[in-house]
Amino acid sequence: MRAALSAAQNGVDVAVVSKVYPVRSHSNAAQGGINAAMADRGDKWEDHAFDTIKGSDYLADQDAVEVMAQEAGAEIIGMEHMGAAFNRGEDGRLGVRNFGGQRDARTFFIADFTGQALLHVLHEQVLKSGVRVYEEWFVTTLVMDDGRCTGAVAMDMRTGELHYMRAKAVIMASGGLGRVFEPSTNALICTGDGIAQAYQAGAGVMDMEMVQYHPTTLKNNGALMSEAARGDGAYLLNSEGERFMERYAPNMMELASRDVVSRAEQTEINEGRSIDGCVLLDARHLGEKFISERLGQIRQLGIDFAGKDLATEPVPIRPGMHYIMGGIKTNVDGLTNIPGLYAAGETACVSVHGGNRLGANSLLDTLVFGRRSGVHASEWVKSQPAAGGDASVEGTENARLQAILDRKDGELFGPVRTALGKTMDKNLAVYRDQAGMEAAWADLLELRKRFEGVVVHDKGRIFNTNLIFTLELGFMLDCAETIIAGALERKESRGAHTRTDIPGRNDAEWLKHIVVTKAPEGQDTPNIEYVPVTITQWEPQERKY
Amino acid sequence: MDVALNVRRFDPEAERPESYYQEFALEVDETATVLDGLIQVREEVDGTLAVRCSCRSAICGSCAMKVNGKGVLGCTTKFIDVMGPDGAAVTVEPAGNMGLIKDLVVEFDAHWDKIKAIEPWLKPSGPAPEAEYLTSDQDMLHLAGVMGCIQSGVCTSECTVLEIDENFLGPAALAKAYRFVADPRDDADVDRLGQLNRYGGIWDCTRCMKCVEACPKDVDPMGRIMAMRELAMVAGYTDNNGASHANAFYDIVKRNGLLNEFWLIMKTFGMFNIPEMLKLAPIGIKAFFRGKMPPITFDKIPEPKSVTRIFEKVEGRNK
Amino acid sequence: MKYAFYPGCVARGATPELYTSTIAVCEKLGIELETTSMEAASCTGSGVLQEKNQRLGDTLNARNLALGERAELPIMTICSTCQGVMGQAEKRLEDADYRASVNEDLAEEGLQYKGNPGPRHLLWILLEDYGLEKLKAQFIRPLTGLKIAPFYGCYLVRPEDALAFEDNPDRKNSLEIIIEAVGAEVADFPGKTACCGFPILTINQTNSMKMVSNHTLAAKREGATAMVTPCPLCHLNLDGYQPTASKQVGQPIDLPILHLPQLLGLALGIEPEVLRLNKHIVETDKVLSAMALTP
Repeated sequence: MRAALSAAQNGVDVAVVSKVYPVRSHSNAAQGGINAAMADRGDKWEDHAFDTIKGSDYLADQDAVEVMAQEAGAEIIGMEHMGAAFNRGEDGRLGVRNFGGQRDARTFFIADFTGQALLHVLHEQVLKSGVRVYEEWFVTTLVMDDGRCTGAVAMDMRTGELHYMRAKAVIMASGGLGRVFEPSTNALICTGDGIAQAYQAGAGVMDMEMVQYHPTTLKNNGALMSEAARGDGAYLLNSEGERFMERYAPNMMELASRDVVSRAEQTEINEGRSIDGCVLLDARHLGEKFISERLGQIRQLGIDFAGKDLATEPVPIRPGMHYIMGGIKTNVDGLTNIPGLYAAGETACVSVHGGNRLGANSLLDTLVFGRRSGVHASEWVKSQPAAGGDASVEGTENARLQAILDRKDGELFGPVRTALGKTMDKNLAVYRDQAGMEAAWADLLELRKRFEGVVVHDKGRIFNTNLIFTLELGFMLDCAETIIAGALERKESRGAHTRTDIPGRNDAEWLKHIVVTKAPEGQDTPNIEYVPVTITQWEPQERKY
Repeated sequence: MDVALNVRRFDPEAERPESYYQEFALEVDETATVLDGLIQVREEVDGTLAVRCSCRSAICGSCAMKVNGKGVLGCTTKFIDVMGPDGAAVTVEPAGNMGLIKDLVVEFDAHWDKIKAIEPWLKPSGPAPEAEYLTSDQDMLHLAGVMGCIQSGVCTSECTVLEIDENFLGPAALAKAYRFVADPRDDADVDRLGQLNRYGGIWDCTRCMKCVEACPKDVDPMGRIMAMRELAMVAGYTDNNGASHANAFYDIVKRNGLLNEFWLIMKTFGMFNIPEMLKLAPIGIKAFFRGKMPPITFDKIPEPKSVTRIFEKVEGRNK
Repeated sequence: MKYAFYPGCVARGATPELYTSTIAVCEKLGIELETTSMEAASCTGSGVLQEKNQRLGDTLNARNLALGERAELPIMTICSTCQGVMGQAEKRLEDADYRASVNEDLAEEGLQYKGNPGPRHLLWILLEDYGLEKLKAQFIRPLTGLKIAPFYGCYLVRPEDALAFEDNPDRKNSLEIIIEAVGAEVADFPGKTACCGFPILTINQTNSMKMVSNHTLAAKREGATAMVTPCPLCHLNLDGYQPTASKQVGQPIDLPILHLPQLLGLALGIEPEVLRLNKHIVETDKVLSAMALTP
């Protein structure tokens, strides 16, 4: 939506296509806040940039991080002007809270539902702007013409009809791929559609092995308990009542980088100092009033889904798959290696998050690069001829979908997806090794075979979610392919990619990105390329918290 | 544990589309929700089941539905809470007051149209400041209460006025309107209140509290509507029956401590409002003959001044 | 069993039959109603005053509650709306700071609300204080063969936390318990806890009448001989405006609407004239003939 607004402001005809009503997007689940270094508060963007780069374990491209850090302040003020109801300090100015991986408090927030609040504000502005939104339209494929992206084929879910949406440029902002893992904090709609579609169209996807496991998720349903709790002072305890982060990150403690905290928790769990496979989030000392004002939403989550009231008892949590640092490779203007194809947000990899994302940088990423890709794309299309491409793609897609519908006898998509999720969570989680990743690859090949035989019970066309979930499964398998390929390729431990068989970071050989592109016909494994990390000011150092 | 779901299905592409109920027997976890059950059905048993859902943690607003006749979010409704002691099947039906598309998927268009109708964007006056607008945390926290709305439509589903009058803006749109009226940075409150002062707006709520009870995020839509009624009257919008009714009520109780229905009606419509008086005449006459006409002389409590004094004290503080 | 009687405004105004039948029923049951201590009580505001100024409503109700405290008697209400509105005020006044601030305005009259439990509806008092078995033993003229539809009134069923449903789960279907206790069958219909439309009567009469006709016709479809309601405001709409609603929907309705004490009174053997059953807008003859009583 941010991209659409800046494109519309730039005077071009832009439409938003979304498989759900825009306010259902998973950005609404972001709880804790959004980072910015504001100069008029005595903060320096260089500090924010450094914290981000260190947090990324030096895999982030520093020029991109500089852009994000420099534009953050303006984005937040811009959102506030649109009506975002950020918390305030005594002086009526925006208030801040502490967040993971940052030495200074620069996380601006709206109670504990910052993402939802910002998403709704953007939606309000989209309604105001009159930009057309194709709601509950499901994109099945990108359309390419002569090496250029000329739009997409989308299904109107209400009727099942396929439409070739011809466009001079496409900005992919379809979010993450959490459902490739089981469990994950992500919503059911996070199936990596955009990443897979760009991959299929020939775009490079980068840093896919960098999968973030969030330290505080509920065991039951993988729901996220915001970092804000720790930002506001909550402790992590093991089964012995010890604040174990003392041993792993004596300075930042619970607010060390997410990968550091997740690894610490996983170690505690693996070494038996856990309760039912979990450690404890303890916020009792913050008091009930504070919790109900600042952490009300996550308190309710704890009550509803773990049966524990954060105000009076510790809540059992454990690391859970949460975010993909990797994505479609773009430059700082959201442009991919395919003319006419852009990407922004979690779908993209600029890279600003490198090997590990700091909390409250994701919302910032979506706004900054959403805006920039909207600006760049809208500027570019002004000089472009009309998009070509054959309307016969509708027919081709229709035939492809009909073939899936026509299959008789077979299993539903459900068990195949669950199997995929389980093998990914087993082998591509916090700690990885060669044998595990190879097993995952073997599983993937098996699952691809099973996928060919998956049947769709619903033979209709109106709101056929059965078909849609099956198509999404295809996207997820493509995403898994890139994740496992990248993970097998990176022979070091960096950021979220931790190999028990190759511990330790190797800057000499591996200070580079891994870009995966689709294998040409006949090749078993995808193509791998390396792209060096852009260093501007900050030489990689040892990473301690 | 074993549970049973009794789901109302509807296939728009059937030869003769009509609603029917289908039972599913499932084995689920003790903490499982109705939505977990529905997802299990569509992933493992019957792929044709259509239900909107996404986050499973009450933030996306997709899974509004009726469980055992009551509007809820599927993802926060635990089986153990709705099963009943004998483990009877849990009835699941689509959300109410919205057209049916397929199974549990309903037409949300009217809901969105009403949200759009209240112009849901900030309308500040004058140029924006360089940095942020200055406001208090209290004001922002107050907004956070009503901004917590996730557009689930559960209130829309349960509203007793929407059930009989689709022209009512409804609790969701009105609560969203309040979000702007209460925002100190929005300078269009008077206009907004004026728009809402018309048919279909704030005065058409029947104060049944169903939306308050149904809302999964404690937005309190009815409370916001009532707050806007107060603000509308203060802003000078008093020439409608709702406002004159409230004002008449106020005057009568202030003077006498008790209500007198006869005078309440008179003052609400205005004694010289001939058309209304003619409409009321038959009822009034019938009531009179059944001895149900309240006395024309006011009923008072023994010491009406004690009540008048309270009115003056509390209102005096507002000024 | 002694209670400070708070009849509310309408029971003394447009539905006097409610007042007289309550007195008659309580006398028969041996429930003592103390009528002087709440004489100085004001209208609860009915939700309408709260629209203009919630704090004002809370202050008036704190005063009402304080009067009950001064009499050292529990308060009885006979109106769903009085119950709901006072219950909501009571809930807000649980906050000690708020209560202290409101009490400042009552000080001049020498009154203070200390936070004791507030009023309860006759319907609840019968189940909770009097006892169902004891009550049933008093019914000498059971309404066998009659089907009665319950209509609670919004304020008696929502919001649950201001009505202490968690501690008293029977309140949720109290009316149905009573209907069965008097020997009748419950005519269950959707909308028994919905709105009668009274609050919008003067604002949107069309909608208000739709609600009346919807619910009365739904009850009739379930075979109801009559409908019973513990709220006189609902009664005003369902009975008083039933002819108007019937005209609007273009269908005859003719469903007698009984007040709760009238239903009880019939079962207790009290004469219909004493219960003022001949004072309704919609004739109640059907009920009486079904009970083999002369209308």
